Amino acid sequence: MSADAEKKIDAVELEIIKASLDGIVQEMQNSLFRTGYSTIVRESQDASCALLDSRGDVIAQHVVLPLHIGSFPACCAAVLRTYDDIAEGDAYLINHPYEGGSPHAPDMCVITPAFYKGALVGFCASIAHKGDIGGPVPGSCSGQAKETFNEGLHLPAVRYQRGGQRMVEIERIIAANSRTPELVLGDIRGQLGCARLGEQRLAELFDKVSAPMALASFDRLMALAERRMRAAISEWKDGRYEAERFVDDDGVRLNQPVRIHLVVEKKGDRIVFDFSGSDDQAVGPANIRPPLVRAATAYCLIALVDPHIFINTGLMRAFEIVTREGSIMNPRFPAPVNTYNPTVHATVEAVFAALADMAPAKARADSCGSRSIIIGGRGGRAGQSYVQYEILGGGGGARAGQDGASGTAVNQSNAKIAPIEIIESEFPTRLLRFELIKDSGGAGATRGGLGIRREYMNLADARFSIRSTKHVIAPNGAAGGGKGRVGDIVVNPGREDEKRLPTRYADYPLKSGDGFCLDTPGGGGLGEAFKRDPLAVADDVNEGYVSVEAAARDYGVALTRAGRDFVVDEARTGALRAATK
Amino acid sequence: MARFRLTVDTGGTFSDFVYVDENTGEISVAKVPSTPDDPSRAILAGVELLIARGVAPADIGYFCHGTTVGTNALLEGKGVRTGLLVTKGFRGIYEVAEQCRPHGPTIFNIGYTRPTMLAPPSRTGEVEERVAFDGEILTPLNEAALRETVRELLARDVKSIAVCFLFSFLTPKHERRAREIILEEAPGVEVSLSSEVVPLIREYYRLSTTVINAYLHPILARYIDNLDARLKSAGVTTPQKYIMQSNGGMSTFAETAKKAVATVLSGPAGGIVASVRAAETSGFPNLITFDMGGTSCDVALIKDGEASISNRGKVEGRDVALPMIDINTVSAGGGTLAGVDKFGELVVGPQSAGAQPGPACYGRGGTRPTITDCNATLGYLSPDNFLGGKMRLDKDAARRAVETEVAKPLGMDVAAAAEGVVRVINVKMEEAIKAISTMRGHDLRDFMLLAFGGAGPLHACKMAAELGMKGVLVPPHPGVYSAMGLVMSDVKHDYLRSRLTPLSRASEAEVNAVFAELETLARADLAREDFSEKSIRVEHALDMRYAGQGYEMTIPCEAPLAPGGLKALREKFDAEHKKSFGHTAPEEPVEIVSWRLRGVGVVPPVREPVYKPTGAPLEKAIRERRIARFDGVDLECPVYQRELIDVGAEFAGPALIDQLDCTTVMPPGFLARVDERKNIIISMGSAT
Repeated sequence: MSADAEKKIDAVELEIIKASLDGIVQEMQNSLFRTGYSTIVRESQDASCALLDSRGDVIAQHVVLPLHIGSFPACCAAVLRTYDDIAEGDAYLINHPYEGGSPHAPDMCVITPAFYKGALVGFCASIAHKGDIGGPVPGSCSGQAKETFNEGLHLPAVRYQRGGQRMVEIERIIAANSRTPELVLGDIRGQLGCARLGEQRLAELFDKVSAPMALASFDRLMALAERRMRAAISEWKDGRYEAERFVDDDGVRLNQPVRIHLVVEKKGDRIVFDFSGSDDQAVGPANIRPPLVRAATAYCLIALVDPHIFINTGLMRAFEIVTREGSIMNPRFPAPVNTYNPTVHATVEAVFAALADMAPAKARADSCGSRSIIIGGRGGRAGQSYVQYEILGGGGGARAGQDGASGTAVNQSNAKIAPIEIIESEFPTRLLRFELIKDSGGAGATRGGLGIRREYMNLADARFSIRSTKHVIAPNGAAGGGKGRVGDIVVNPGREDEKRLPTRYADYPLKSGDGFCLDTPGGGGLGEAFKRDPLAVADDVNEGYVSVEAAARDYGVALTRAGRDFVVDEARTGALRAATK
Repeated sequence: MARFRLTVDTGGTFSDFVYVDENTGEISVAKVPSTPDDPSRAILAGVELLIARGVAPADIGYFCHGTTVGTNALLEGKGVRTGLLVTKGFRGIYEVAEQCRPHGPTIFNIGYTRPTMLAPPSRTGEVEERVAFDGEILTPLNEAALRETVRELLARDVKSIAVCFLFSFLTPKHERRAREIILEEAPGVEVSLSSEVVPLIREYYRLSTTVINAYLHPILARYIDNLDARLKSAGVTTPQKYIMQSNGGMSTFAETAKKAVATVLSGPAGGIVASVRAAETSGFPNLITFDMGGTSCDVALIKDGEASISNRGKVEGRDVALPMIDINTVSAGGGTLAGVDKFGELVVGPQSAGAQPGPACYGRGGTRPTITDCNATLGYLSPDNFLGGKMRLDKDAARRAVETEVAKPLGMDVAAAAEGVVRVINVKMEEAIKAISTMRGHDLRDFMLLAFGGAGPLHACKMAAELGMKGVLVPPHPGVYSAMGLVMSDVKHDYLRSRLTPLSRASEAEVNAVFAELETLARADLAREDFSEKSIRVEHALDMRYAGQGYEMTIPCEAPLAPGGLKALREKFDAEHKKSFGHTAPEEPVEIVSWRLRGVGVVPPVREPVYKPTGAPLEKAIRERRIARFDGVDLECPVYQRELIDVGAEFAGPALIDQLDCTTVMPPGFLARVDERKNIIISMGSAT
């Protein structure tokens, strides 16, 4: 639309439409959380909703998982590319990382077209993680996959409803390919309900403000988001910056770190992120598709510019991404992608690191990344087959003036932890331990957050998979801060048959009575540890976050007991700190 | 013979009082400045006001109080030094909490920090014991080690201890024994057991709720003791002294402190109780309550005379898993600021001018325009009749603020800018209403908008029209509506019990057995509070879900269940699920997760006065005529003084209605009538 027409949108109308869009996506999101069947949607809340325009650009999104901001347009583009007879009452499914934009097959996208007075005006969409969509391992995410064909059932854009009627064939295909067909179909129906709700609300908005006004406002909101981004970027220092980060391995070629490399060039309000120097595509499932690279970069920019910015595709236009075909950031079909998250975390951390010198001081050290564990078996409490899926965080990176958070989801990940009492009631598993790991936070003027230790006892034969990160390469500190402790996964710790599994591993057979202990990484420290306030170190020791030995070794703080607590021994601390000068 | 009821709702600025003469039903109201350092001083002042009118203190037969003492102590970090006991190996539960950050912008906020722990790790002790998912004891309680751990905590000077063991909601034996041991070691320490505070599945929420309870219990106990002593010294000796809880019911003075956490979300409860009563008496059983004050707006839904209840909520990021009235709060109030940013976008809220400097028209140095300034600019507020004339409004200052900060930057005229800002804030509040109504399958055409709070009636008509609602109801005393609710409440105690039970394997007898157990507790508690058999009512509900779902729906039911009752319950669950979420899965297995029983001690209702027309002509109620702006048009309209409008009067908009603590705006096309209880009932359209 022309700049002239754009100007005619009254500031008041625009604000009203914005508030309405906010309400609609919030309403869709709440509906999805409340109607989802599986523990993943409802307890872990691994799902997002969005409204898109008729070109497939995101108009508004309620941010639950920031990665999905890149996925929606790519999924919608596939629908638009595939079908020229989109009609009211249609619904489409797509979970294909190459055809569409799902990070991996379990992330099923449901899209419905929104019509107003017979014309296509937009789309309502949601993406929700499915517990199992087939493939060789429960949960569908094999760390040893070498092709997408090992990663479960893939649907390109397919029509799921016509005239509001479900295509039973599609449901039967999905059901036949999942270990938990009821949950998957239940979740998909929940997604469908949320999309229909969005359509209805969008039509009400069009009724209220008129279709031309609504459509013009959508464009205007995107233009505004882009302008806001560019205005902030133009205030940053011009220049060329470089950063790299590593992922432990790709799951197949063990002990071979995967490199993410980034060059940022910034001039005026133009900023280009060039990932061409990253490793060639991985044999194992550590690859990520360009929509995720874009989303990871957007995540960092939003964090640095304004966490409250109205989220739409406009802000994605304020920066450019370059990826090299055949690299880990832009793999060729059918390279496997199921364990995308470690690579995305490394990408986020590389972007933050590259921007640290350029953007106003929002320095932070690296964090724990994220991980999931999946236990699948056939002896659920009700006798059915089951998939127990948990997503775990760890230590957050230290921040300027603030210690990192402990036991938290970080970066673009934000899953809830599953309640122990629910896990034990639903699955033949017993938790033996759930605590934070002392000394796991990187030392620094501000300390990294602590990682989590969860110890499990298996009460039935089952198959175990893990998709983790930073078990080999520790989270970096920043500005002289120390690294966080690495994560670890050990089966039957302390027993004769003790066995350490790699960072990603699929389908390890656990016997009834076997146990495992999962340690998640701590966050990196920020600034020099010897400059940390000794009183803060003493507090950390008294709260059990740091040991007396580490206080002396890492912080140069000597402590003595006074009653039940430790206090700073000023003289010895002075000596310790002076000695390392 | 006791003849008076006295209630007080303590707010941040004012303590609102309602006095009811039980014999005549006559109601009077008062506002006394609050005394935050010791709220009971303001309460005494209010009691003395009544005594000064010639009421003998012994004739005050009923006292009910809405307090934020617990809430404030929580927000300000002024609870007592609290310790925590957890199952050995599980100290991570409290600190990791939900693990995630709140949705929305927080995910991008690198500096986000969780609320501080009320019981830090140094005051957390681990206890050797373990109960399994089926309630079976896997590891017996190691009493000797526990005793040692308790001594450690005591040495750290804790005044209150929370105990939360895994699966204690099934087998509370270990928690109970832990209390005995704590009290043997330290008789003065308060103990909160998770199996008593909130015996529900999901350890973190149970733990968080129990820790908050432990943290506040001694504070509330001290406050209530002090208040009780002051009331007694003033001669108010009635045993019927109550405190409002978050669930919309009262609790006795004696019981309140034990469940201090049940008061932390009680602030808006009084207003909802009054609304429920209005739903019974006004002939409008379906209401959306709309309470708009200075900084925030609370909305809630009442369907068929029942307020909707939520089973979990948050106070400043802390989780509370207790039944509470389901209230949706948005930051939108009279003090909400409007402006234009450097990109030319109009920004309305969430920032607020607060009490200082407040709106520009208050003349306290504020220069940025607020919602109140916009309303003043539009001619809705009477400069010389605000707060009954106690405060003069500077309308020119309001106009200047709107002009400089909004109209000029947007190239609009002042009135259009003011009207635009009001429309934007209205849409935000309308979205909050949709979130609790249409989103849950309710049709707003069946609902009236019940407006109260200082600013509610200013915005209600336009919003009700936008939402397609049936009409608007403005009660007689919208400014002290919470205190009004305290006059009308019953005592309500909630009894909960989680026990994951597949419906297919349950029998009516088993379900009834759990209810019977809870009912025995309820009846015993209420009997102790002097309620006779006849005045006790129990309400039953079950939390149910499709197997594997992570979220339950609370389904009310009649207990004991008759044979075949479970089948009917299953059908009811499917139907409710369909209604709330748009789909259902009748072929999927369903589980009962928790039993809920509410014990109600019915307090004899106040005979509310019903008025007859006096024949006073409507003209007499018009205090002036003034120009006000409606949808871009300036119209001259009458300004009524509400107290002078006769029962049965009918009049049309445009009109403004002034009263002591608020103004009602009626745009053109709206029709009002005053009912026999002096409610203003406003309908839309010119038809009836």
